[in-house]
Amino acid sequence: MQKISFFDQIAKNKRNSIFLIIFVVALVAALVYVIVRLLFPQFALVFLAFALVIMISHASVSYRYGDQIVLKATGAKPADPVQHAYLINTVEGLSIAAGIPTPKVYVVESEEINAFACGKDPKHASITVTTGALKNLNRTELEGVVGHEMSHIANYDIRFMTLVAVLVGLIAILSYMLLRSYRFAKQDEKGKGAGLLIAVGFLLAIFAPIASRLVQAMISRRREYAADAGSAQLTRYPEGLASALEKIKKINQGKMKVSESISHLFISDPNRSALDELFATHPPLDERIKILKAM
Amino acid sequence: MEMIGWIALAIVGIVVLIVLICIYFINRIRILSNRIDNAWSQIDVQLKKRADLVPNLVETVKGYMKHEQKAIDMVTKARERMLSAGDKKEKIAAGAGLAAALKTIFALAENYPNLKASDNFKMLQEQLDGIESKVAYARQYYNDSVLSYNNLITTIPGRWFAGGRTPHPYFEIAEAERAPVKVSF
Repeated sequence: MQKISFFDQIAKNKRNSIFLIIFVVALVAALVYVIVRLLFPQFALVFLAFALVIMISHASVSYRYGDQIVLKATGAKPADPVQHAYLINTVEGLSIAAGIPTPKVYVVESEEINAFACGKDPKHASITVTTGALKNLNRTELEGVVGHEMSHIANYDIRFMTLVAVLVGLIAILSYMLLRSYRFAKQDEKGKGAGLLIAVGFLLAIFAPIASRLVQAMISRRREYAADAGSAQLTRYPEGLASALEKIKKINQGKMKVSESISHLFISDPNRSALDELFATHPPLDERIKILKAM
Repeated sequence: MEMIGWIALAIVGIVVLIVLICIYFINRIRILSNRIDNAWSQIDVQLKKRADLVPNLVETVKGYMKHEQKAIDMVTKARERMLSAGDKKEKIAAGAGLAAALKTIFALAENYPNLKASDNFKMLQEQLDGIESKVAYARQYYNDSVLSYNNLITTIPGRWFAGGRTPHPYFEIAEAERAPVKVSF
């Protein structure tokens, strides 16, 4: 039964990735249309066509090279075969356990204990671990964390989550541009009362980033529980990950300098905003630890 | 007339359905059986890597452990047995033998602080630890693959398509590997 739900999850992730791309392209097209209507009313359609072409190429680039964009954004460096032999061995071991090709291994400089995986499928995937994790975690704990990331890779969570990371960033930028462009909008256009258009655009600009952030939060919380369970299945030792999460709770300050748009990729929220339960991309650590200990 | 047409259509539909079901199960059995082969090759790779580590280890250890010639010979011999092993069963046994011999060397190394402190030895130890855990994971994947295969060909409806295939044996941990390391001085 477990295998079946596993395959269901893969199919769902592939489907969701396609929906996400279509949704974002449509949303961005709407945003762009409003921007050009305000700035260059005569050429609106030309610009829109132009924007669509750019959008579609952007989407395909983010599909193919999303992991590179994310890795660049975090400043991760490839793991050194000698210095990080221990980490590389752990990753290799768990990829054997999961029956997938060995992902590339990266290390990012940070005092915090954290890790993430990205890529478009198991053949083009990478796992990044912080130096803080290497310093503070013992072997079974590191195996638990790597197992969590490995199960994100094996069930195609990474494809969807990498796309979300890249596309959420794009929506935020475009909405910002739209809000700014109101200032430069042609006076007559404003006066003539393309009022409805302006109102709609304004709402879009405000709600698009919020909506995409909400989607980001909702989809990733459920995935974290599933990946914790997957880690336990791979390592056959849920206590390892549980004790790693305990250490994360104790040591992490939530001060890793990473963009909000990629925070959902990490095993534990790198910015722990704690502002709002609604936007938390991760379930509470205590809850995760409790579930792992009960396995 | 019309009635006969419908009945014919229904019969054709049922036949097509049956053929599709047959194809599904025959392929499923093939796929799972291939997965076992693939899982075995993962184990094989790690066993080979472990054997390849031995000459390097012997070279490193020789200078320090002058009085442990017996243990060193044991490792060299276990390696030869590993490399000449033919089928799965022999390889599993030889692999367990080599693992035990290596454990003895590392246990003895506790008495040679200079050896333990050398970078080369530390690196070998890390590599070997890595390989041991990879063997364990590969074995886990192998046994999982065997389980899904065996489940499919022994339960209904899979067993109707198994065509005399028998359940695959699991990779059991050999006695030699379970036993604690014996160190004689």
